[in-house]
Amino acid sequence: MHEAAITEALVEQVREFLPASATLTGVRIEVGELEHLDPVVMRTVWEVATAGTELEGAALTIERVPLSVRCRRCGTEHAPEDPAILLCPDCGAVAPEVLRGSGVVLRSLEVEER
Amino acid sequence: MKIRVVENVLKLNDEVAALNRARLAEAGVRCVNLIGSAGCGKTTLLLATLSTLSGELAIGVIAGDIATTRDAERIARHCPEVVQVNTGGGCHLDANQVRQGLAGLPLEDLDLVFIENVGNLICPVGFDLGQDASVGAFSVPEGDDKPAKHPRVVLESDLLLLSKTDLLPYVPFDLEGFRESIRMLREDVPLLELSAATGAGLANWIRWVTELART
Repeated sequence: MHEAAITEALVEQVREFLPASATLTGVRIEVGELEHLDPVVMRTVWEVATAGTELEGAALTIERVPLSVRCRRCGTEHAPEDPAILLCPDCGAVAPEVLRGSGVVLRSLEVEER
Repeated sequence: MKIRVVENVLKLNDEVAALNRARLAEAGVRCVNLIGSAGCGKTTLLLATLSTLSGELAIGVIAGDIATTRDAERIARHCPEVVQVNTGGGCHLDANQVRQGLAGLPLEDLDLVFIENVGNLICPVGFDLGQDASVGAFSVPEGDDKPAKHPRVVLESDLLLLSKTDLLPYVPFDLEGFRESIRMLREDVPLLELSAATGAGLANWIRWVTELART
């Protein structure tokens, strides 16, 4: 249930970026596949944490970012079908550097000028 | 109107983790974040480590738990420098909780701090605490499929452990399959197989800990 901690951090972060003259209508975030975050739980926490505040009613859009890695041995980039098998399709090494699919990133705020 | 932002949602945690790292470096203390499921043997391994290294290394422990001071009480019998951090329901430690824990330890007198994370293989992995090394612990009774089901702990650990190897004769566990599932995620991560109950394999772990503390 790290959804709660991460979504609460998101609420605080959104407040920092929201201009005083604007009303928030939507937030877009990217969630890496490796994060094991449940989007349904995150949206529920978002609704509860923003209820009764200036952020109430803003929609949280969660984009899932699939895993993609680069082989440290030969440099080949690939998107593994199974995140448990990170074998390089070119050289057969298992030395992945995670390029995408890890982390939670705030990408944009949708706002309306009041 | 759209306002574009590209910022890590855990930025604040990462900033506090950087402060912890700086504080530890200033005091010349190494720090290990020990992550593993509830019941995988983290506390028992720490007790064995503390008793083996007593008189050789000055070790402090931050024991993270949802509630209770049971772990800290067990550890305090072997180690005077232990701080319990209760997360009050939280499934992981964050950098700010560790910052408070570090404030309760005499860092200048220590060589090494172990952070025993909340028992959980998923949530703690994304939260940097300011550690020098992360250790991911699996145990025999959990089953041999845990690395494949939790790739991130394998990808982000500096060392992996398989504990409770004394139970191998009694529970179904494909040891070669377990090792292979780790090699399918990362071929360069060291794996130590040990039993804190019998002491088998413990010497390799003690060597790793000692080397980390003295570098």
